[in-house]
Amino acid sequence: MGSSKKRVVITGVGAVSPYGAGANLLAQNMLNGVSSVKFNAELADIADISSRVSSTVPEMDFSYIPRTYRRSMSKMSLYAYAAVKEALNCAGFNTAPDGASLYLGSTISAMETWVEFVEKYKKKEFDTIKTSVVFQVMNHSPLANIAQSFDIKGPGFGTCTACATGLINVGLAYQSIVGGFTDKAICGGTDEYHPIMTACFSIMNAASSLFNDDPQKASRPFDKDRCGIVCGEGCGILFIETLESALERGAKIYGEILGFGTNTETKSISHPSRQCISECMRLALKNAGGMDPSCIDFVNSHATSTIAGDVEESQAIKEVFGKDMRVNSLKGHIGHTMAASGALELIAMLDMAAQGKAAATLNLENPDPDCRCVNHIVKTQELKINTFMKNSFALGGTNCSLIIGTCVKDAIKDALI
Amino acid sequence: MTREEIVKTVNDALMKEFELPEDKMKPEANFFADLGLDSLDAVDMVIVLEQAFKVKLRANYQVGKIITLNDLYNYIEELTNKN
Repeated sequence: MGSSKKRVVITGVGAVSPYGAGANLLAQNMLNGVSSVKFNAELADIADISSRVSSTVPEMDFSYIPRTYRRSMSKMSLYAYAAVKEALNCAGFNTAPDGASLYLGSTISAMETWVEFVEKYKKKEFDTIKTSVVFQVMNHSPLANIAQSFDIKGPGFGTCTACATGLINVGLAYQSIVGGFTDKAICGGTDEYHPIMTACFSIMNAASSLFNDDPQKASRPFDKDRCGIVCGEGCGILFIETLESALERGAKIYGEILGFGTNTETKSISHPSRQCISECMRLALKNAGGMDPSCIDFVNSHATSTIAGDVEESQAIKEVFGKDMRVNSLKGHIGHTMAASGALELIAMLDMAAQGKAAATLNLENPDPDCRCVNHIVKTQELKINTFMKNSFALGGTNCSLIIGTCVKDAIKDALI
Repeated sequence: MTREEIVKTVNDALMKEFELPEDKMKPEANFFADLGLDSLDAVDMVIVLEQAFKVKLRANYQVGKIITLNDLYNYIEELTNKN
């Protein structure tokens, strides 16, 4: 190896998404142009919320999780349990290996549980609240629940940075391995949908509201008719470890993490700027050993279908990589799965790269002139992707970018030299 | 309430809350050793029983001495007879 920097690879993936449970469902449905967005009758009952669409996980049976663990889990922890189990199995483990660290967060707490909790409090029925509720509404509830149920004794970090949570946890886990703090980690983000989530974006006029009668068209990143976010839910989990460890175990390698950048937008708590996004992507390149922008051949954007965000990200990508950079967003398919989005979309991209394909941005029918500055993927196509960048940004200003290498054979060859 | 009604109400409530199989609901069953419950379950059990019998149990220190199902049947029987 030419560098002493530890190399970090992805050897396990797990997902619960609006398509259902299973990492393989993501790319499979996205390449087929399937939208998971549906009309949400509950939203229609709430006055002044203009958006009537959401992207939720189909009903799942979690009774296989032992009751002692399940009792303190709200949906986001249940999703995380299924995704962690899949990621560990995928990496060749029946349970979490010794010494594994855990990096897992959500955007906000378990809203449904909180609402019930507050209703009882207001009615002075506090003495009817069961102990398990307390453990469901803790900010780090998914982290605690997963650590308990998989007996993960290593360090645990419940970093929550709104919509960037999933990717930032992968980035932090990566940095921890590079820095020698840990040598293997389970990382990602998880979230459960509640109408309050849509309401929050609706308050800011940032929830999709013009396609309520045609839900599958409602999330349309970069399109000139886009009108906001479609809120969703799910969980994306990766198992990552040193390349050395993966080779020793003979594990299948899905990709190598090459660089991570993160920064904070301070000009606005709600609006991202192209300057800050560009800087974030440049930080990731710098972190990847000063990688030249020309080494990146694809950007899987954060683009959430909001008026401002999609323009700023397009312009930032052009500024860093030039107008020919190929770009897609997977939120046209599954909406914005919040804390899960970064990890879920990363998992989908890993699968697509392995298949030599790239999904088009769903519903990108007429690119907004202000977003046309890059090479948008408007038709699903065969495409060799050696190195791609994954972006995630968040309300509150957190930006992060991760660089992934998909030439696994090269990674192994280099490591053996 | 008859003893049989109390036993049925307690068993139904606990089987539902703690997902216990019927064959484990023997009078001598210890909540911790035999039914696999823990201290958090013990608190939740009080809430479930308060709702099932429409009585207040939490403030009563005797609750802490209940360790088997039979202890619980006896305690509820005594309490409902008083009322």
